Amino acid sequence: MSELAALQAEVAHLKIQLAEVTQTVDAFKMGQVDAVAQDAGVSPVLLQAAQDNLRQSEQLLRAIFDGALDAILLADDSGRYTDANPAACVLFGLTRRELLGRTLGEFATPGYSPPAEWGTFIERGHMRGSFPLLRLDGGRRDLEFTAVANILPGTHLSVLRDVTDRRRSEELRNRLATVVEWSLDAIISKTLDGTIVAWNRGAEALFGYSADEAVGQPISILLPPDGTSDETLIMERVARGESLAYHESPRRRKDGSIVDVGLVMSPIRDGSGQVVAVSTIARDLTERRQAEEALRRSEEQFRHAQKVEAVGVLAGGVAHDFNNILSIVLTYSSMLLDELGPEHPLYDDVKQIAKAGERAAELTRQLLAFSRKQMLQPQVLNLGHVVAGMEKMVRRLVPESVTLNFVTSTDLGRVFADAGQLEQTIMNLIVNARDAMPDGGTITIETVNAELDGEYAATHLGVTAGRYVMLAVTDTGVGIAPELRDRIFEPFFTTKEKGKGTGLGLSTVFGIVKQSGGHISVYSEPGTGTTFKIYLPRTDDAAEAISPSKQPPPTTGGTETVLLVEDDDQLRQVAHTILHRHGYNVLEAANGGEALLRCEEFKAKIHLLVTDVIMPRMTGKQLADRIALLRPEMKVLFMSGYTDDSIVHHGIVDAGIAFIQKPLSKGAFLQKIREVLDDASVGGAVTP
Amino acid sequence: MTRRAPQARPGGDAIQLRLYVAGDAPNSVAAIANLEAVLAEHTGPRVSLEVIDVLKDPRRGLRDGVLVTPVVVRVAPVPQRRVIGTLVDRAFVRNVLGLGEAIR
Repeated sequence: MSELAALQAEVAHLKIQLAEVTQTVDAFKMGQVDAVAQDAGVSPVLLQAAQDNLRQSEQLLRAIFDGALDAILLADDSGRYTDANPAACVLFGLTRRELLGRTLGEFATPGYSPPAEWGTFIERGHMRGSFPLLRLDGGRRDLEFTAVANILPGTHLSVLRDVTDRRRSEELRNRLATVVEWSLDAIISKTLDGTIVAWNRGAEALFGYSADEAVGQPISILLPPDGTSDETLIMERVARGESLAYHESPRRRKDGSIVDVGLVMSPIRDGSGQVVAVSTIARDLTERRQAEEALRRSEEQFRHAQKVEAVGVLAGGVAHDFNNILSIVLTYSSMLLDELGPEHPLYDDVKQIAKAGERAAELTRQLLAFSRKQMLQPQVLNLGHVVAGMEKMVRRLVPESVTLNFVTSTDLGRVFADAGQLEQTIMNLIVNARDAMPDGGTITIETVNAELDGEYAATHLGVTAGRYVMLAVTDTGVGIAPELRDRIFEPFFTTKEKGKGTGLGLSTVFGIVKQSGGHISVYSEPGTGTTFKIYLPRTDDAAEAISPSKQPPPTTGGTETVLLVEDDDQLRQVAHTILHRHGYNVLEAANGGEALLRCEEFKAKIHLLVTDVIMPRMTGKQLADRIALLRPEMKVLFMSGYTDDSIVHHGIVDAGIAFIQKPLSKGAFLQKIREVLDDASVGGAVTP
Repeated sequence: MTRRAPQARPGGDAIQLRLYVAGDAPNSVAAIANLEAVLAEHTGPRVSLEVIDVLKDPRRGLRDGVLVTPVVVRVAPVPQRRVIGTLVDRAFVRNVLGLGEAIR
């Protein structure tokens, strides 16, 4: 054999050897081998069995893979998904075909950086964490993940868990827990044997125990020591599964004080429905009780206001006619007295009639004052000056045994009020103070600036917050019993013995103060004394000098022509008589129409129109307005028994209007007429 | 277990084969069938075939350096040749074992 031939044979042999090796590998690859013997010399392992095992575990793994609730994904070195289980498809909202080939980066939430770069992950080999996934359909899911790099060379595993719902329910639970924790109601949970297991802030606030102190303690620490609690009985019922709708019961605080609480107790059940604990929600009733009391009080205030209003309507209704009648009684008796002279045997009898009439007139006036229907002629006043001006009169009013204190401040604000009515108010209060101190004492009359704040206004019906001037009259007398305090301003309510008081004094005060836009309050301590405080709104206008009482004009008669308009025949007649007797030329009319007729008939000058305000068809104001067109130079004097909006607003007489209050008395009537006729400042019939 | 190919004649065998199998494992069964089919078509020199079940005689397999079944080994003439697997590629089997015309 040549060397070449030998070489060729060698190559052929090597080729065959290579083919053998290749074939061996192929056989392995194709699974054409059954068993592999082991070097250790023991019996060979059945390769087929191993393959079966492998196949089985592959099937097992596949089933796990397919059935897993978590998303399982395999990715290659570039991070592209090469396999994904059904859960992954559901999570990503894509089919398997759509999902494979994509990378996690395509599902990144904007503004959210992924836990790590892909390369870092591969390098580190594993990773866990959480991140938000933005699905291609826009849905957002919160994920927790575990990732392992190179579970096979070049294959990387990630397992993703959708925790969105869990997070949400956790959030919900946290929120609920926060609500419970911060609830102002006490929320407590206790076991069936009464051991406290949960204790919120509301419970801390209500009972004074911190959660640390209360948890683990028996619920009996909250029970009043007198053993009156029904807790045991209730617990038994709730433990049987009953829910206790609501009951009120006293409980003990940490400091030992007792607090009334409203309770709701409910059973807490476990999954099987077994009652395992009891929840208690307790609310402090103190505030509600206070609110109920406040409501009751304001309702009472309202009822009182209604009562006052009703009496006012009634009084206003009768006052008009009553004043006309009294005018007749007073003027006729006055004329009779003039006629008879003091020497006449009937003089004293007539005098009694006049006095009775005056008393009736005073009573009418008080009724109107109380019902806030009287005329007020307010001006800007310094309350301190009003009080100072009354000092002499007040001293005459109280006995020696009573000490009088006058207190005022120099910077006292001004008020807009009727001086005469204020004096009446102060007198009434001082008389009451005096009567409350039969054995003597001290009366303090104080005037001072005051502010009433919003809180005060909110708790006192009809009070507006603001700046006021306060007048306080304080005595050291017997005081007013609490149960009577709410009734003292009621008309005809009196504690004085019969005949000593009309029961209208404080009602009048109340009416005047209210009509002046003010507020009155009373503080009293039985056996110690009483303070009445009157608040009148402060005004910034400068005070007018209180004009000293004008001297009555020397002559009360005159020769001028007066047009007298009054629908009450009797009253008109007596007024006519008075005017006629004192020299006036009187034209008479029973209503507005007649008055206009007289104006047309009478060609000479008419100096004065004296008219009732309230008349049927045409009011005095309407008449005055009509006559102003015909006779602009004619002056006007209105007469009225109570307020009417045609010339007065809320009882305040319009400026520049001459006015005389009924009931008329002869002297006052004549005096007023002279005053108007002589007063250049009183305008003609043209009224503002 | 020793089997002889149907056409095997007694006396000095020109070609001596041993087939190592693992019981009735599928690949082994397939290997026996395929090898018998190859031998049935064989018209050349006399072939003796011994089939050895390593499950019954593991030491024999180890002693012969057989780590994997099924495998057919040509023990004579030297050099030894072996084909692993189900022997489904009969042309290849003939070629390697030197049973066909292609043998050089």
